[in-house]
Amino acid sequence: MKRSIWTAPLALVFATQAIAQDAVVVTQWDQFAQSGISAAGPAMDELIASCQPALNGASVLRTVAPSIGIRDSYRLAVSAGKTPDLAYTWPAASVLAGYARVGALAPLDEYYAKYGWDQVNPFYKGRNSYDGKAYGLPMEQDLMGVYYNKELFKENGLSVPKTYAEFQALAETLKGKDIIPIAFGNRDRWPATNTFSLILGLTAGRALEEKVLFGDEPWTNPTFVQAAQTFQDWAKADYFPRGFNGVGYDEANALFLSGKAAMTVTGTWVLQDMIRGADFDMGVFMLPPISADVPPGTMWGEGSQWQLSATSTPAVRNAAAAYLNCLVSPESRQIWVQKGHSVPIGTTPEELAAWGADPVVQEFFTAGLATPDANFYDLHTTLPESVTQVLYPELQRLAGGDASPEDFLASLQAAWAAADANGERWRP
Amino acid sequence: MSARTAPLFILPAFLLYAAFVVIPILQVVGYSFFAWDNGIAQDFIGFANYARLGSDQIFWAALWHNAIWVVLTLAFPLLAGLLLASILAERGPRTVQIMSAIYFIPRTIPLVVAGIIWGWIYNPLFGLLNYGLDLVGLGNLAGAWLAEEGTALLSLNVVGAWTFFGFCVVIYLGAIQSIDPSLYEAAEIDGAKWWRKFCDLTVPLLKNTTFFLGLYAAIEAMRFFDLIWVTTQGGPGYATEVLTTHVYKTFFLVGDFGYAAALSVVLLVIVLGLSAISFRLTRA
Repeated sequence: MKRSIWTAPLALVFATQAIAQDAVVVTQWDQFAQSGISAAGPAMDELIASCQPALNGASVLRTVAPSIGIRDSYRLAVSAGKTPDLAYTWPAASVLAGYARVGALAPLDEYYAKYGWDQVNPFYKGRNSYDGKAYGLPMEQDLMGVYYNKELFKENGLSVPKTYAEFQALAETLKGKDIIPIAFGNRDRWPATNTFSLILGLTAGRALEEKVLFGDEPWTNPTFVQAAQTFQDWAKADYFPRGFNGVGYDEANALFLSGKAAMTVTGTWVLQDMIRGADFDMGVFMLPPISADVPPGTMWGEGSQWQLSATSTPAVRNAAAAYLNCLVSPESRQIWVQKGHSVPIGTTPEELAAWGADPVVQEFFTAGLATPDANFYDLHTTLPESVTQVLYPELQRLAGGDASPEDFLASLQAAWAAADANGERWRP
Repeated sequence: MSARTAPLFILPAFLLYAAFVVIPILQVVGYSFFAWDNGIAQDFIGFANYARLGSDQIFWAALWHNAIWVVLTLAFPLLAGLLLASILAERGPRTVQIMSAIYFIPRTIPLVVAGIIWGWIYNPLFGLLNYGLDLVGLGNLAGAWLAEEGTALLSLNVVGAWTFFGFCVVIYLGAIQSIDPSLYEAAEIDGAKWWRKFCDLTVPLLKNTTFFLGLYAAIEAMRFFDLIWVTTQGGPGYATEVLTTHVYKTFFLVGDFGYAAALSVVLLVIVLGLSAISFRLTRA
């Protein structure tokens, strides 16, 4: 009798432990803030709940890391061997490839085959691959464009430029009227990489960019020199506000939103803030090609990508992949658009209209998605970190007139060669 | 307490010191002998990371900027502190109390906050400095203080001086108040004016205090990071790059732990060297 009294509780304890051991928990790091005007955290929580059936009994343990710091936090986690099972981080391309190279990430090819994630086109899939294997599932998409103040344009009899010459004439006209043409601030160092990437793509085109990124074409080629010269010319011609290297990105956006600057050249990542901050009629257009032989297009990339840890168990990886498949489904994409303030890859302009996205969102993505074959790379999220850390200061020097276009590109070429020799170069 | 039991009393403190100071330092030294890829140690490469220092132009630029910072810190806050303390020492106790507190306030402001405040003052779009220059008819002198290579480091040093001079005032004041008043009385009887007393009495008698403040300032100048990071992140270009920002970028942003460790070891050697000089001079 005494034995039977103890047997039941002990059996319960062991059974509970066994269940606990069998329970699959997917640890997740993401950047979706819980509060703020464009916070996507609540949408993420809603999607975790709605994707629960796909998890097949597993659960998601979510940790929010600020997007500004998740890049560094993830590197430290890799170093410590403590990566979460699932992370929504950035950037892809060289940085993702670096983690794949050291074996920190699990390949996703079997899941791409199983779930048919066809919304990820070859460009995006390439940016999330290394050495022939896919390691990331990109979700949000970022496009670069020109935000403009329609009211200011109308008051001054200006219209959206159709050619680069018209864009230059527009900027000159604005200057003549004491209006800052482009709100640009580069104290944070990264904004210039986006602006320069746009100018580079519209000067050199994607094909030449790929010859440099994946081939042996040097950074110092004449077309890249022309692009660097164009960027410097914008600064010298006072298209930007005074002291732009000392102006923060947010301050530059505020300059545009206050009506003191007519345009700002930036991406969709700030779209929701712009829509909410503008008390004037705001529009978006794509910068026209700078070289005559380059087709219209824009800089695009994934805002961030989902990646799986190589150290997770197969059960956790399978659960996470099924959950990801739910997160990128058409039903979930609608939630991302309507409540998460983002536009996932695969979302069409027609869907944006049907789901009631803001007209400016529709305008931006309709224009940006119209040129998928010509859209090009964002250097900021494409290059190895060691090259990015040269690109940042050298772009400040180029724009500030402290380095010539040739010197700027020579510095990049040297950093590129060093990264290549060090095995940091990314090839899809 | 016998000689045998004494180490037992030291042991807890020693263990803590070893755990939080000695072992981490040895760990960093160890890291510097390896190649790293994305935070993961690869091959043992001996002194190869140290050999890179010679051709790393950013390292030399950063070291030069640190040296400039040391010189400027020695020149201005110390001098201002000495003069203000000498003037203040002759005022009544109430004035001394109030003015010391006022001078010391910038020292109590964290450098991150000081950086934000002065970032607004220097802002090229809405900065107080340019606005003030405009008001007094010197608008042609207005500039993008932190955005131009020629002015960025000097402008930041002004902020550093602003946060440090109050500390110098308080330390000098304490030292001046400990000088025997009869020396000044004797000088006055001999007809010495204020400047004469300052040069021939105050300055020589504050030699040890000046040594202390100078070396303290030099060590601080090698270590500072937060002010630069919140204002310029080492830019524009490399104009305000210092050793600590170079270490931070190499470690956290590039992920080259080995080279960042080598840079840290060099920085540590410099700071320890300055500390050794300080220790020796103050003991003397």
